[in-house]
Amino acid sequence: MRKYYLPVVIALILAAFWFSADAQEIAAGVAIFLFGMMMLEDGFKLFSGGTLERMLERTTGSTPRALVFGILSTTILQSSSLVSVITISFLSAGLISLIGGVGIIFGANIGTTTGAWLVAGLGLKVNIASYAMPMIAISIVLVFQKPKPLRGIGYALGGLGFLFLGIHHMKEGFEAFKDQIDLLRFALPGLLGLLVYTLLGTSATVIMQSSHATMVLILTALAAGQITYENALALAIGANIGTTITAILGSLSANFQGKRLALAHLIFNVTTAVVALVFIAPLRDVVDQISLLVGIGDQDYALKLAVFHTVFNTLGVALMLPLLTRLIAFLERRIVEPALDVSRPRYLNGAVDAFPQTLETALRQEVQHLNENAIELILHGLNLHRQDIYTTDNIAETVRKSRAPMDLDMDEGYERRVKTLYSAIVEFTTRVGERSLEPDINERVHALRDVSGDIVKAVKSVKHLRKNVLRFTGRDMGAVTNLYDGLRTEIARIVVEIHKLESTDPDDRSALWLDQERAQIEDDALATTRRVDDLIRQGRLQPAAATSFLNDSGYAYAAMRNLIEAARKYYIERDSAMAEVERLLSLEDEELDENRLVTDASPNLEAKHHGNKNVARRT
Amino acid sequence: MGLKKLAEKVVDYNERFERGKAEKIKPSHVEKVLRKLRKKAVELETDIASAHSADKKARLHKKLDIANTHIERAEFLMKAID
Repeated sequence: MRKYYLPVVIALILAAFWFSADAQEIAAGVAIFLFGMMMLEDGFKLFSGGTLERMLERTTGSTPRALVFGILSTTILQSSSLVSVITISFLSAGLISLIGGVGIIFGANIGTTTGAWLVAGLGLKVNIASYAMPMIAISIVLVFQKPKPLRGIGYALGGLGFLFLGIHHMKEGFEAFKDQIDLLRFALPGLLGLLVYTLLGTSATVIMQSSHATMVLILTALAAGQITYENALALAIGANIGTTITAILGSLSANFQGKRLALAHLIFNVTTAVVALVFIAPLRDVVDQISLLVGIGDQDYALKLAVFHTVFNTLGVALMLPLLTRLIAFLERRIVEPALDVSRPRYLNGAVDAFPQTLETALRQEVQHLNENAIELILHGLNLHRQDIYTTDNIAETVRKSRAPMDLDMDEGYERRVKTLYSAIVEFTTRVGERSLEPDINERVHALRDVSGDIVKAVKSVKHLRKNVLRFTGRDMGAVTNLYDGLRTEIARIVVEIHKLESTDPDDRSALWLDQERAQIEDDALATTRRVDDLIRQGRLQPAAATSFLNDSGYAYAAMRNLIEAARKYYIERDSAMAEVERLLSLEDEELDENRLVTDASPNLEAKHHGNKNVARRT
Repeated sequence: MGLKKLAEKVVDYNERFERGKAEKIKPSHVEKVLRKLRKKAVELETDIASAHSADKKARLHKKLDIANTHIERAEFLMKAID
C-alpha cells in the first residue's frame, strides 16, 4: 500500500495540472500553506524555549485544565497535529496521565476550529497577501540571527506569512478555476452526497496530514462557489476524521500509552462525525440560528461553515466528557500494558525523542530502571535480599544471618538485565547528543550516561567478588568470613543510604548528604586494612588469604565508590544554579582525607590505605 | 577542615560566571541548600540520641561532622556571594 502511495499522489497531481493550469495555483497554494505550518511549528519550538512543554506538564492535573490547555495551545499554534504529537511524546515519557492526554486532545479539537474562523473572517475578506510579503521579507532577516528566540520569531513570522500567501493562492486558483470548470456539477445532494464528501474530506486530510489545510481549501472553494454549502459541511466532518492520522502515525513509535491516546483521538473524532452526520439537519438549523444571533449574513456560507465546525466539535466534547472514565477503561482494556520485561528499555522509544523535556525525563527513568536491576543483581551477588536489607534496623546482623547461597548466574544476569539497558542508554544519548540541545540539557544527558557507566562498573566489581563471597560466607569460617561479611555489610549500607535518598521528597534531599557516605567508605577501607594487618600479625589469617581478600576488598570499595558517584550525579539539583551551589559545597577527595587525618593520625596505615585505594580505583 | 579549597572554587565559579559559562547563584539558592543541610543535621542528632550500639553512634557522629562542615561551607558561600 505504502509503496503505491507516493506515485499515485504524484500522478494525480500531474493529471490535475494537465487538466487545468489553475489547479497548479490551488496545489501551490496548499503546498505554501503546509510549508507555512511547518515553519510556524519550528518557530514555536525554537522561541518558546520549552515553555509549551513545561506548561503541558503542569496543566494536566485535572480534566478541565487539560481541556483548556488543549484549546489555548491549539489556538495559539494553529496546529492540532503539533499539539497531539507533543501530547503523545509526553504521555510516552510518563510526564502526563492518559486522562490528561485525552483531555488535551478533546481541547485541541475545539482549538483547531479557530483556524476556520480566522480564514473565513479574515483570510477571505481582507487582502492578506499584501501582509504576507513584508512578513516573509522581515522573517528571513530574523531567521539568520544567532539568538534562538529571534530565529524562532523569524520562523513563526515567516510561517504566518506563508500561511497567508497559501490562502491567497488557493483563493486566486479557485476564482480562475470556476471560469473553466464548474465543480458544482459534481455536487451530490442527500445522503449519498454526505457520505461521498465526508470520505473526500477524510482522504484530503490524510494526504495533506492537516485538517487546517483541508478547511482552508473547503472555505476558499466555498467562497468561490465551487462547492455547495451542504457538501462543504460533509467535507468538514470528513476532515475531522482524517486529522486523526497524525496521532496514529505519531503513536507508531510510541509505547502503549501513546497508542491508547491515538485510539482515543480516533474514537472521539469518528463518534463526533457520526453524530454530526446523523443530526446534520438540526445542526444546520442551530448554525442558522447562531449566525442570525451574531449577525452573520444568510449567504455568508464561509462564516457559517466556521460556526458549524465549532458547534459540532464542541458538541462532540460535550457528549464525550461524561463518558471519559469509561473511555479510559475501554482503552486500558483494548490496549493492554505489555508484561514487564526488566531486560528491555522501558522508557526510551522514538516518541520521546522529539522534545528535550521528554527525552531527558525518559532517560532519567531508564537510568533509574538500570539502577534497580543493578542493585538487585549486586545484592543477590552478595547473597542478600533487597527487602531484608531495606527493612532491617541492623544491617550487619541481617548480613550475618544471610548465609544461603543465591541461585544466580551473575554473568547471565549482567548480560540480560544490565548490559542491554546500558547499550540502549548509550545508543540513545549518542543519538540525541548529535542534536543542538540547550547546553544545560546536553550536560545533564551526558551526566546521565556517566551515571549508567558508574552503575555498570559497580556491577562488574561485584561480579569479581561473587566467587569468594560464595566460598567464604556460606558458613561461618571464622576471621575470613567476618572480613567478607564486613564488605557485604558496607556495600549494603551504601545501597540503603542511596535508597533513603531516593525515597526522600526532592524538596528535602540533597546530593551533598552522599559526602557523608564517601567519608564513611574511606574510613571503612582504612579500618579494613588495619583489621587485615592485625589478623596477619596474630596468625589468624594466612598471607595468601589476606592478599586474596585485599584484592576483593579493592573490588568492593570500587563498587561502593561507583555507586556513590552515580548517585551524586543522578541526585544533583536539576536547576543549574542550585547544582552549582551543591558542586561548590561538595567536599573534594583531599578535603575528606584532611578530615580523616584530623581524627586519625596514623601515617603508616594512611599510606597503606592510599595504596589500596589506588588499586581499587584502577579496577 | 579549612575553607581554602572552597574559596578557590568560588573564585573559579566567579570567573566562569563572568564568561557566561555558569548560572548566577542567588542567596535564595544557598538558603535552600542550607535548609536541607540543617534538617539533615537535626535528623542525625536525633538518630545519635536513639542509637544503642557504640559503633552506630560513632558512624553517626562522623556523618554529623560532615553535615556541620557543609553547613559551615554554605554559610561561607552565603557571605561570599552577598
